Amino acid sequence: MAIPKEAYEAFESIVGARYISADPVVLEAYCGGRMGHGKDLGIDREMNMLAAGVVMPLTTEEVQAVVKVANRYKIPYLPASTYWVTHCAAKRDDQIIIDLKRMKTLKIDEKNMYATVESGVIYSQLQEEAMKRGLYITVPGGGAQAAVIPNHLTWGLSPLNYRNGMPCRRILGTEWVLPDGEILNLGSLSMSDDPFWGEGPGPDLRGLMRGWTGWFGALGIVTQMTVKLLPFQPEPLIKSGISPDTTLLLPTNRMKWYNFRMPDRQSLVEAMYEMGRCEVGAAATKVPIFWRYIAKSKSKEDFWEQWGTEAAENDVKNDHIFRVMLIGYTSEAQLEYEERVLMDIVVEKYGGKAGRTRQSDESWIKNADSAGMWWMTGGYVSVEVTVDTIDCAVKGGEGLAELKKAYTPPLMEDYGDPGWFQVSELGHNGYLEFLTYYDPDDEDIKKTDEWVYTAVPKFDVQVGLFNGFKIYESPLELTGKAYGPNVKDWMLKTKAIFDPNNLSNPPVPADVDELIEKVDWLKKEW
Amino acid sequence: MNINYDLARYEYDMDKCVGCKGCVWVDHIYMPGVRFGIKCPSNIYDPFDAYAYVGRSKIGLAFLKGKLDYSDKLLDVIYKCNLCGACDAGCKRNLDLEQIPVLEALRAKCVADGKGPLPAHKKVAQNIEENGNRFGASQNNRFKWLPDGAVSSGADLVYFPGCAASYIDNDIAKATIEILKLSGRAFATLEDRDHCCGHPVAEVGMIDQAKKIAEANIQALKDTGAKTILTSCAECYKAWKVDYPKLLAKSTADMDYKVIHLSEFVDDLLEKGQINFTRDVKMKVTWHDPCHLGRQSEPWVHWEGTRGKAGILDQPKVYRRGTEGIYQAPRNILNKIPGLEIVEMPRTRENTLCCGSGGGAREAFEDYAQSIGAERIEEAESISVEAIVSGCPYCKENFIKAGKSAGKDVKAYDLSELILMALK
Repeated sequence: MAIPKEAYEAFESIVGARYISADPVVLEAYCGGRMGHGKDLGIDREMNMLAAGVVMPLTTEEVQAVVKVANRYKIPYLPASTYWVTHCAAKRDDQIIIDLKRMKTLKIDEKNMYATVESGVIYSQLQEEAMKRGLYITVPGGGAQAAVIPNHLTWGLSPLNYRNGMPCRRILGTEWVLPDGEILNLGSLSMSDDPFWGEGPGPDLRGLMRGWTGWFGALGIVTQMTVKLLPFQPEPLIKSGISPDTTLLLPTNRMKWYNFRMPDRQSLVEAMYEMGRCEVGAAATKVPIFWRYIAKSKSKEDFWEQWGTEAAENDVKNDHIFRVMLIGYTSEAQLEYEERVLMDIVVEKYGGKAGRTRQSDESWIKNADSAGMWWMTGGYVSVEVTVDTIDCAVKGGEGLAELKKAYTPPLMEDYGDPGWFQVSELGHNGYLEFLTYYDPDDEDIKKTDEWVYTAVPKFDVQVGLFNGFKIYESPLELTGKAYGPNVKDWMLKTKAIFDPNNLSNPPVPADVDELIEKVDWLKKEW
Repeated sequence: MNINYDLARYEYDMDKCVGCKGCVWVDHIYMPGVRFGIKCPSNIYDPFDAYAYVGRSKIGLAFLKGKLDYSDKLLDVIYKCNLCGACDAGCKRNLDLEQIPVLEALRAKCVADGKGPLPAHKKVAQNIEENGNRFGASQNNRFKWLPDGAVSSGADLVYFPGCAASYIDNDIAKATIEILKLSGRAFATLEDRDHCCGHPVAEVGMIDQAKKIAEANIQALKDTGAKTILTSCAECYKAWKVDYPKLLAKSTADMDYKVIHLSEFVDDLLEKGQINFTRDVKMKVTWHDPCHLGRQSEPWVHWEGTRGKAGILDQPKVYRRGTEGIYQAPRNILNKIPGLEIVEMPRTRENTLCCGSGGGAREAFEDYAQSIGAERIEEAESISVEAIVSGCPYCKENFIKAGKSAGKDVKAYDLSELILMALK
């Protein structure tokens, strides 16, 4: 399929000839999105296809005009900044991609501690500029290469959320091009040019805009967002090393990482809770053991030589690594005080043993090298991202690890690791992310589909895990009924009201439902 | 097809790109902000994904599988790239996909299929074939700059000036032999067998022609009896150190010679106290890491293994990640020059931005090459330096050209020229 000539010319008149293409070579570069998360799973194999065109607007006005033209000619579109999941790829014959990478304005209001970004700005860029001003933001596990706006719309989990809270709570004034091309300003931006406040005056529709974990492009395009920045400590972090071993050296009078080996999982959880009660610490997390193996491997083959051993299996069973970061935000004395409290809790009360750790950071402050997750097998998908209590996170992770045995292989053997869990918001909530690794070329890939699209959601429903990602990685027909007063209907009704022509990244949010109708190896047995 | 240039060998490296764009962004640890945050010159010039490895990998895969046919656009995507290796080093921060070998193999396939290289590249190849240099100048003029009596026949060190220093920037060659003279180190040349290194044909995918040149040059060196070859050109350096063993399906360690760049040579002399800088050079400069001296200069280690389940290799492989590039030697030299102030640009070492000239862009895409040159000059301007210093004549040439066409006032020097200024 191709874009009608008149529509192409209309798009071209908006962005200029240099920033539109329908050449098959250019389109091939966008095939399947910038695929990572869920690559080669059912959605990717069975539904993702070549787009019919790519347009690259520079301003909100251009985005608005492009969306209006798309509505005029009934052309489905997919907004894309640094999109990274299976849902964000063309799935309709004549769909265009609105590539937002040219929109890269970044402004920081140092006094009021917020940043205003456009769609093409990524986290490491924002973090660099924030740190120059004594401020910082949480770089999410999704990676420093993730664009700031869509990541705030979706998830943004990090051990630093222990102190900084969930990113969705840090969204302030927002400019949103609705699916029909109207512009809606949220919060104080609706009343003035000052985006300082998310709640108002004016409409606060952030919940609608974001939903549970965003709409993955199915509800228009957020072109500008103001996000809170947080006060940091004043010492510089020294950039050090040559690729692949680049890192930030911590100013240890103000920042320190700690690694504790806890006696068991329960003591690790209790220590997390108690840290929160004492309101000390900047970051806290339980470390999946394979992350440690990745970190110490020199190559993929080196990883597999170490991972495929009895020692690795024993490590998963017996090593309960609790990783904590302290920051002396206000003073060196704060760090010293918090260190004493931390040691009282972790070592004295819960029997943790402090191990060696490098006083540098390559994973959470400015980098979050999530791409390494694909390294071991070539395929990776997180099947669980649950915000609830930490007890829920632990039980959910353990249950999934048990369930996963039936799907291993083709899934990568991880010896029953219950995933990444941590406390967030000083212990007021807990987080579980269950990571799954697979070989995309495995002949048994359909079994991996089954694990992702039906087995995990059924387990979630069964045990009551309120799983954000599963709203999108499962049939809404299954999870929608279980997650509330029929979430599926509410989502589809909302979508229909805002997007009457159903052009904003169809068929999301019901793409898995469509997949299940299409293929014969995923059964509607629920 | 030479195993190292066989596109089918790299299917995994194309298919398993996960779209993190490590090939595009400056390493996030070193990310300088929105401005200067991209290190892929091709994608700076043309922001479509097709002009970055993230898109070229998919295009390459579709091309390999026969889903894409030749077109002007396909050739444009394949050739409007400096082969600077920024993508390759970036990917190997996390994933170890062989991006530069893929891009080189794509060009080799174009040539093998009779569709490449581009007309401007063919002209260069013809010049090399007929005259032994890329410019089509007379071979008789190749050593015109060389003073009588400078060469010591039979010396164990051979100076290989390369086409640029021989024909279009004699100052570099003259400075280099003056440095050799001041160091007291005897040197020879390949005399009338001194020809182009072959890099201009290797980089556009003309593998058979490049291999013949490599064999002839290696034989010429062998016939002098010397075991060490000195270059003042980063392209020549990479040709002798990386391209030749790759073309011959050998490892750099198995070659019967050693190649050193002038920066390594002088750094060693300074370290041993065999020369000393005596003159002030009052200038504020920045060092531009040439791609072929920096991230692309690691030795080639031949590998004939295959991938198995989950992409695991059946034989150990030594990855060229850009870690061991020649980054420090030129900085050591510049730091020892009295009066010289050195400031780093936001994009340095393995994250450096190519000057824009390499990969055949100099001949085929002049606007593109100069646009990237101007981008780099703006980066130098952002740190308020008077001059950019590099270790490759093509970088210097492109900065001068780009500066002129963009009305910029930044000077460009070759490292040899600054060394000489400080010596005498």
